[in-house]
Order: sequence, then C-alpha cells, then structure tokens
Amino acid sequence: MLSYEVGVKINLPTAVLLVVLVAAMFFAGRYLANRSQGGAARSVSIGGDAKGQLAPGFELKDLAGKNVQLSDYHGKVVLLNFWATWCPPCKEEMPWFVDLQRRYEAQGLQVIGVAMDDSDQKTIEAFTKRLGVNYPVLLGKESTARAYGDVQFLPDTFYIGRDGKIVSHVQGLINRKEIEEEVKNALAGSSTAVQSGVLRPAATGAR
Amino acid sequence: MRTRTLLCVVLLTALFASMAGQAQSSGGPGVTVLPVEPVTIQPGKSATLNMRFRINAGFHINSNKPTQEILIPTTVKLSPPADVLVGKLEYPAGEQMALPFMPEEKLSVYSGTFDVKGVLKTTRAVSRGTYRVRGELRYQACSDRQCFPPHTQAFAFDVKVVRGATTNKRKNPAQSPNIKG
Repeated sequence: MLSYEVGVKINLPTAVLLVVLVAAMFFAGRYLANRSQGGAARSVSIGGDAKGQLAPGFELKDLAGKNVQLSDYHGKVVLLNFWATWCPPCKEEMPWFVDLQRRYEAQGLQVIGVAMDDSDQKTIEAFTKRLGVNYPVLLGKESTARAYGDVQFLPDTFYIGRDGKIVSHVQGLINRKEIEEEVKNALAGSSTAVQSGVLRPAATGAR
Repeated sequence: MRTRTLLCVVLLTALFASMAGQAQSSGGPGVTVLPVEPVTIQPGKSATLNMRFRINAGFHINSNKPTQEILIPTTVKLSPPADVLVGKLEYPAGEQMALPFMPEEKLSVYSGTFDVKGVLKTTRAVSRGTYRVRGELRYQACSDRQCFPPHTQAFAFDVKVVRGATTNKRKNPAQSPNIKG
C-alpha cells in the first residue's frame, strides 16, 4: 500500500479524497457566495471568449407584438444591445444608437435593443418613444439572456458580423466614439479592435 | 488517534477554505445588511428601530425617492409577527449625484452607509419572549458605467418583549403562536 509520511501515515486514496473534499468545499463556498450576490458574479457561457462564436439565435416579440428573430437580419451587422429602463448608463447610449442607426443603416447596420425589464410594455414603449428610438426594441427573456452569457449587468452589447458571428462584446458603458469604432470595425469585417467580455474604460468628454 | 487528529485538521481546513471562498466573492455590487441590534420593548409600548446598510465601494443605489419614476426606489419591507407592529419607516434623503456621462441629469442615491429608522410597538396582550421580525431590502445597484438588476435581500432581527409595569401578560407565554421557537 502506498503511503505518505505526513506526521502520520495516511494512504494515497485517503489523501486524494481529502484533497478533493477541500477543493469541493472551497468551490461550494464560492458558488454559494455568488448565489447570495444575486447572480452578480456567475460564470458566463459566452463572455470572455465570445469573439468568433455564432451569435445565439432567438425569437422575441417587439413592442408591436410581432415575433422577431435574429436570423431576420442575416447579412447585416447587428448591434445587439441589452438594456433596461432602470439603467441610466443604458439610457445615455440609446440616443447614440439612434444616430448610428441613421448614419450607418445604408452600410448594413441594424441596431436591436433587448429590454431586460420588469416594466410593462407600455412603459418601455413610452420610454423608447421619448428617446426617439428608431430601431426595433424587443422584450427580453431570461432564456435569451442566458444564451448570451447571463447578461450579468447592463448595458451589455454584442456586435455581430454579417456572417452571424460575434465580432465584439462590450459590457458596461463606453463612450460614443468607442461605440462608433466598434460599429465601423464590424461593418468592415475587422476584428482587430475586438475586446470581448471586458468593461472598457471610457475616455471622458468624448461624447 | 493521530489519524483522527489529522482528519480533524483537514476538515477544519476545508471549512476555512469554504469560508474563504465565500469571502472572496463579497466584492460584488451588493448591499450588506449590518446586524440589527435586538429591540427590547415592553408590552403596549414602543421602541425605536435602526437598520443600517452598507453599499459596496464604487456602487450606489437609488434613494427611497428617486428623481425619476422609472428608477427603482430602495425600500425596506418588514414582516412582524402578529403582536408586533411596525410604524412608518423613515428613509434618509438621497445624495444628489450626477454621473460623469450625464452631468445634466441629477440622481438621488445612497452610497456608503445609510440607516433606515422606524418605530416598533407591541400590543398590550403580547407575551414575554423573543420574536423574530423578517425584513426585505429591495434595491437596484449601479456603478457609473453599469447597472445590476434589482435585487431583494432578506434579513431578520429579534424583538425582546420584557415585563413592564403595566404588563398584561398571559399565564403561559409559550402558548403564543408568534413566539420564536
């Protein structure tokens, strides 16, 4: 029988079992802590390595009640923005998306907003109308959020190329100039400036 | 005997590792409910209640009266047992804050530590003993560049009902359906 001298003799299977036990309790502790944070630090299915992955398909209702699928926009560059009415940073960037939609539509850009909101549809509609939103706003579902890496916080934006693959993933607010760069890169089919799953520091005063 | 000692050491290590795993994740956007001191009260009398909450550094939550209807106010909901009554809760005024990316729009927020105060009262018929009041803090946290979904955090504290000069106590307090077991 194999044994290790650790002050006392202990056989190998017992040692392995103990190590596994320690590791299991450590990770169980972390898991429970993450749950107690309201899922704020849960692992993501597509996040840090989202670049190059096929964007998960979805079918969601828009504010008019019409079913919209991601595949409806195949061949376009899609700026998929998860947002909510209670999220001031999301509100800040929506007028920028309105402007980008207008300026880059002819080049194949389609902005899509996904409202991850508990508010009723009328509230969301009034909110988007007040901001002059000129792109489809869909009513988000948990399943869609899960498919896109849990959408742990908002805003959470995916830039999807014409081939349906994720070009870039940006969590949190970045400035207007950086968003436009992401759009240009996606339209150009470039992925050199991609930064996925990372909150990028925004330059101040660059609006 | 020595193997048993070793096993105990390993199990204790595992326990500490588990606790460390939890502690390492405490830097999220959440709010910590600091322990609420047990409230001592006489039957039919009132006592003040103070609940203190600490918001993690770098984050803020909306005050109880946000500047916009669409924003989610911070609220505390208390569920006392039948013989304990909760008066109106008093929330602190929010700190007026403009986020760097929208300087023209003022928000009313809490950051750091804030207290919610209230008054508790018991009925005259309440039995002596310790009663558990359950509470829920609902809030929605943001940093200056990202927001987390609304969250409800449960907490609890004890109310100790002690004999008073005008106590109208029951003969057998243990029969009270509200008493904590």
